[in-house]
Amino acid sequence: MRRLEADVVVVGGGSTGAGVVRDVAMRGYKAVLVDRVDLAQGTSGRFHGLLHSGGRYVVSDPHSATECAEENTILTRIQANSIEKTGGLFVVAPGDDPTYAEGFLAACEATKVPATEISVARALKREPRLNPGITRAFEVQDGSVDGWQMVWGAAASAKEYGAQILTYHRVTRIERSGDTVSAVVCTDDKTGEEVTIGCHFVINCAGAWAGQIAHLADCPDVQVVPGRGIMIAMNHRLVNTVVNRCIHPHDGDILVPVHTVCIIGTTDVKAPDPDRLPIPREEVQQMLDAGEVLVPGFRESRAIHAWSGARPLVKDSRVGAADTRHMSRGMSILDHSERDGLKGLLTISGGKLTTYRLMAERIVDAMESQLGTSHDCRTALEVCPDASTGRLNEGKTYVVTHRLHDREDDRLHDQILCECELMSRRMFVDLIKANPLSSFDDLRRQLRLGMGPCQGGFCSMRATGVALDAGTIDIERATGLLRLFLQNRWIGLWPILAGDQVRQTALDAWIFQGTLDIEHLPETAEVV
Amino acid sequence: MDVVVIGAGLSGLVAAIRLARVGKSVTLLTKGIGGLQLSQGTIDVLGYSPDLVTRPFEALPRHGKPGHPYRVIGGAAVRSGVDYVAELCGPDLLTGHADDNFLLPTAVGAVRPTCLAQPSMAAGQITAGTSYAIVGFRQNKDFYAALCAGNLARSANVTARAITLDLPARPNDVDSSALAYARAFDDPSYRQRFATLLKPKLEAGEVVGVPAVLGIKVLDAWRDVSERLGHEVFEIPTPPPGVPGMRLNERLTQLAKAAGVRIALGSRVVGARTSGRRVESVTFAAAGRNRDYAAASFVHAPGGFESGALTMNSYGSISEGVFNLPLAGVRDDLVTGDYWSDQALFEVGVAVDDDMRPLDAAGRVVYSNLHCAGGILAGATRWSEKSGEGIALGSAVRAADTIRRA
Repeated sequence: MRRLEADVVVVGGGSTGAGVVRDVAMRGYKAVLVDRVDLAQGTSGRFHGLLHSGGRYVVSDPHSATECAEENTILTRIQANSIEKTGGLFVVAPGDDPTYAEGFLAACEATKVPATEISVARALKREPRLNPGITRAFEVQDGSVDGWQMVWGAAASAKEYGAQILTYHRVTRIERSGDTVSAVVCTDDKTGEEVTIGCHFVINCAGAWAGQIAHLADCPDVQVVPGRGIMIAMNHRLVNTVVNRCIHPHDGDILVPVHTVCIIGTTDVKAPDPDRLPIPREEVQQMLDAGEVLVPGFRESRAIHAWSGARPLVKDSRVGAADTRHMSRGMSILDHSERDGLKGLLTISGGKLTTYRLMAERIVDAMESQLGTSHDCRTALEVCPDASTGRLNEGKTYVVTHRLHDREDDRLHDQILCECELMSRRMFVDLIKANPLSSFDDLRRQLRLGMGPCQGGFCSMRATGVALDAGTIDIERATGLLRLFLQNRWIGLWPILAGDQVRQTALDAWIFQGTLDIEHLPETAEVV
Repeated sequence: MDVVVIGAGLSGLVAAIRLARVGKSVTLLTKGIGGLQLSQGTIDVLGYSPDLVTRPFEALPRHGKPGHPYRVIGGAAVRSGVDYVAELCGPDLLTGHADDNFLLPTAVGAVRPTCLAQPSMAAGQITAGTSYAIVGFRQNKDFYAALCAGNLARSANVTARAITLDLPARPNDVDSSALAYARAFDDPSYRQRFATLLKPKLEAGEVVGVPAVLGIKVLDAWRDVSERLGHEVFEIPTPPPGVPGMRLNERLTQLAKAAGVRIALGSRVVGARTSGRRVESVTFAAAGRNRDYAAASFVHAPGGFESGALTMNSYGSISEGVFNLPLAGVRDDLVTGDYWSDQALFEVGVAVDDDMRPLDAAGRVVYSNLHCAGGILAGATRWSEKSGEGIALGSAVRAADTIRRA
């Protein structure tokens, strides 16, 4: 039993929580962030990696569009390491209703979203694999963003302002003293220890899980409707620019180049349980068909992984409950002092990654207004550190060849453990030494271990051996982590298994079962 | 041309040698070097059924569901294939009594059954009470002594400790592959450097396990290392490309060439010309233009899904790329979310009669002069039951002997 004291506890380590804890800490509050698993393991790590220009919303949600355009500029400045300035295209594909595109430029102008129409020839020169049958193309300032890097960067900034970040701390109780929140009780799932954090204020940023957290504070019936969407990563950047269909927001209308892959997304189906998000076969087929419209031959290229994320949408009486795409994407703040007579608790719901900083600012303003205090928000002014190096961002945005450059520098001095993603041994050792309780999936999210075409076939045994040699784990845990990693890779592999990835999967099975006989290693206790 | 063989894995090479040695003119067509170099370099017959198998040929007749390749190949042909490959490779490359499985440590410290092993691996045979010193190299990223030793001590009633040497394959290397080490170990002076560095770290009676890198051309390098150390030494196969598999591949390829097999390497066989129930020729997509190879008989040994001989497209439709053969085992839900269970997808393949001729769904022979061997055959998850080489050899012998009799 451990006890900590704080002014504010932030529940949830997605983009909203990370943004809030950074803002709260910068305004001088003693802050603790808790998450039941790793940072950005939920929705903030399960999206298509699009940093919106705002173009997607100019017609359907003009206010959001303007916010996106503004925040895009701010984030590109303060979190350059997690953002690639790919630029974006809105294209009218064969058969698309032309009327949407006719109003597109005017809507962009009205919402201050920079956009220019270019000729189809120029669009095809820029992206030669695009469908040559497109009839119009508009350039916008979409980018791609690594949600994990972004959240870890915000958390690292918060830590510099004294905040504590506690991952794998699952909230079990929220205590009150009279009509005010007094403590958050958690279980540390890595050690089993109970941790009580005394506080005056709790900000519930648990996203799709926010209703469950509110319930722990005896605030029932907070309705968050998770909207499930699937994404599929292809093993190459079929495009180097974000490509959007210039139509009303629809399934499978975005293709985003992120790191070494490109990601097609997404679908939108009401999900009863954010912890059970399937990747249904028919949605996979739907995404591949959608990819084929943007890039002919899409089905012949290689899908390497799929995942499913849950948008935390607020229930809105304006549309039917089964149609989550057309609910408001704006954020909403539930003040439980008004709603349930409990002071010191706000529940946040909705929003989007691109505007996470702005949302955090609004939320902390709301907290201060309840507390009767006031400080300036400075999160847009200060640059975040690059969490992987600890250094401040130098203003250079990410480019896909960064790692290649680094490996060319150190190739005579260090081993490459993961050839697909050019992860060096030092990168892995440094991170596991700094986070000795991490699982390989925790490390993967920051290092991209096992995220390339081999899906762990070659690198996961290396990671296990190197972690053992680093002395941070023992043989039982090492073996358990290896098994868990392979098991978890399979979750996103089997629903899209086709083409060359079948061949890779057979090779990986020959390695792990055929040569190593890993399935007959003695069982280990379950690892976290 | 008497025979065209497609594929340069174990079954293709062995079938080609067996036919060429009885005077058939044989051409072997292959896209690449063949799957042996990706293998662990042992001859598996049956390791799990589903429990651990110690006597493979006793377990074989009862093994598997109807449709398993062993049901049609039969134990006698498998045995004759295993004996044949042992004879071809000779005692400096393969050892063991086919009746009893070896139990050998793997690189992650599991205990793996196999029928024949390379002599360099034999001292690894698990015996209760053995003390192992498992030795890795800091500069090789595909073998970790602590992972192997740690699990070995958990897997069996033995003790095992890890030693990691700071010894690159070439001066100043930080990232030396297994093959780079194997080439270094071909040189006696490197073996001496290794022994000098390791010997003081060893304790009396320890059996020394090293990754399988003890020579690629010099096949008794392991024996020399053992003598220099004064300890029993054994090799542990590593993930691909694996040196023991390369040794087998090299030996069998040389034997095939010596027997007069013509090998055309580097292109895919993309189709076939047929007439009724006979294959007339196959089309090799050689550089410049396609070339047809006509023959009286054909051995189709291109591997399974791992080689791309069987493919599944994004709609889930599975096909065999050369002859468009009917496939057995196709149904819905071939892949499931349970990583640790066998996936039915990998049992899809070609069903054959006991002459290894492909059958359609009604059980009729599709082509009377086409014989399938190895990974293309339906009905087994080879990596899980440890049966890959047994199926390859048994079917190669059946195919070759049918053609020989014809």
